[in-house]
Amino acid sequence: MIEDLFFIERQAYGKTFIHIMDARVKIIVSFAVIIAMVAMPYSPGVYLLGLVFFIFFFALWCASRLPFSDYLRRLLVTLPFGMFIIVFQIFFENSHYAVFHSLLDLPFGIHIYAESVEFASLLLVKFIVPVSFIILLSSTTRMQDLLAGAGKLGMPREFTLCIGMMVRYLFLFASTLEKIKNALETRCFDPFDRALPYRYRLRQMGYTIGTIFVRSYEQGERTYTCMLCRGYGVNHTVSPKLCGSHRLPEERCSSTVSPNRCGSDLPAPGKKLERSEWLCLCFSLLFVVASTVAVWWSM
Amino acid sequence: MHIPDGFIPLYQDVIYWIIAIIFISLALKWARNELNDEKLPLIAVLAAGIFAIQAMNIPIPFGTSGHMVGAALAAIVLGSPYAGVFVLTLVLIVQGVIFADGGITTMGANIINMGVVGGFVGYYGYTALMKVTDNTYASGFIAAWAACFIAALLCAVEMAVAGTFPLVAGLISMGLYHAIIGLLEGGITAVAIYLIATARPDLMEHSAGVSA
Repeated sequence: MIEDLFFIERQAYGKTFIHIMDARVKIIVSFAVIIAMVAMPYSPGVYLLGLVFFIFFFALWCASRLPFSDYLRRLLVTLPFGMFIIVFQIFFENSHYAVFHSLLDLPFGIHIYAESVEFASLLLVKFIVPVSFIILLSSTTRMQDLLAGAGKLGMPREFTLCIGMMVRYLFLFASTLEKIKNALETRCFDPFDRALPYRYRLRQMGYTIGTIFVRSYEQGERTYTCMLCRGYGVNHTVSPKLCGSHRLPEERCSSTVSPNRCGSDLPAPGKKLERSEWLCLCFSLLFVVASTVAVWWSM
Repeated sequence: MHIPDGFIPLYQDVIYWIIAIIFISLALKWARNELNDEKLPLIAVLAAGIFAIQAMNIPIPFGTSGHMVGAALAAIVLGSPYAGVFVLTLVLIVQGVIFADGGITTMGANIINMGVVGGFVGYYGYTALMKVTDNTYASGFIAAWAACFIAALLCAVEMAVAGTFPLVAGLISMGLYHAIIGLLEGGITAVAIYLIATARPDLMEHSAGVSA
């Protein structure tokens, strides 16, 4: 999964209007679709709502000018656990139906039920649509923009600070992991090589994981020390006047650095939503709510 | 073990989120008191490391592969179950929002399963076993195995309550699979504890018994 990190971030550096739209708009719309999809009861209405939302997603994906194969590739990575539950669903009765009709009788008393197949397909739709919108969100929004947007939407400061730093170091550890893998391959060590004793392979993997743990902890210590050296501190605030005394450009004090928090927070530009972004947000939310209510009404 | 969106009804998601938020708040309180608010960056970088650890595919004897959860390791090494909760919350947010692994509405349930159960069972299992066996590695192994196994059972129970998967079949399939994956989690955790205790004994909150 972490191998896709650079790929996802590179995709997010596009120039289409979907890419440059404020992250808050994309977060709210994506979460609204997910909540609407999850809130829909397990009924045939899920198919219609899922189709409407998938067309909406497809239109947005096309507008972002990203290859559809990239979406399929990312979708494939998310499938295993969800698909395991969906596929095995067809063999079991569940609490959402009163009567079950066997479609196919298999040996050892195993049956495939028509109702369970229907339920599995409902789960599949409920699974695919939210995943698609998350893929769209992360493929068109840079990680730091996502974080800034989440912060402006009210995510606690401790989390924005920690996730912001975590995201920055994810890239470092992704490349560290790649280096470790290369080093292991150079020494002809393959953890999946059955010619090697299993205990030996496990021990080597344990050492590797322990090394990553120690490296990440030591990196954290170095980062923390560096931040302290640069005046980082929870109670350390920098007023606009102080910014002035340090001869920082006036626009940096007023726009890119939050005046009462620039000592401890990651700076985030305090940009307001533009008119077009408000329009997109209102239209999308109206569309999501209206289509959900309409499908619910028609059930 | 990452439950995706749509597999749990919304009202149950809300309940899991409320429970998860209580534990997240306690974890934040722990981070402020024990680590000092200013040391939060250290945990953030460590969370990035745990994310990388989770990305490593490790062979399972039957020919497939699995990966570690890491909550028990973080809780044991940092000496608090809340370390597991805090680190796994960060990891699950990034996995859910950027990689679409696990859901947004089900994130509360996932935090409970992997962060809360992983952290608490891992840490208290380890400390209890240390009192009995006085063997760091055996305690780490069993605690990490139990953390993985119990988290999987809880996941099966949540799915059964949601009406998504039958209880008995879920307990058997998830339980069996994670009992095996748990051996891997336990083994790797024990070896990683040995390496950390050897390379950085100061990191270990419970270094007694470590033959570093």
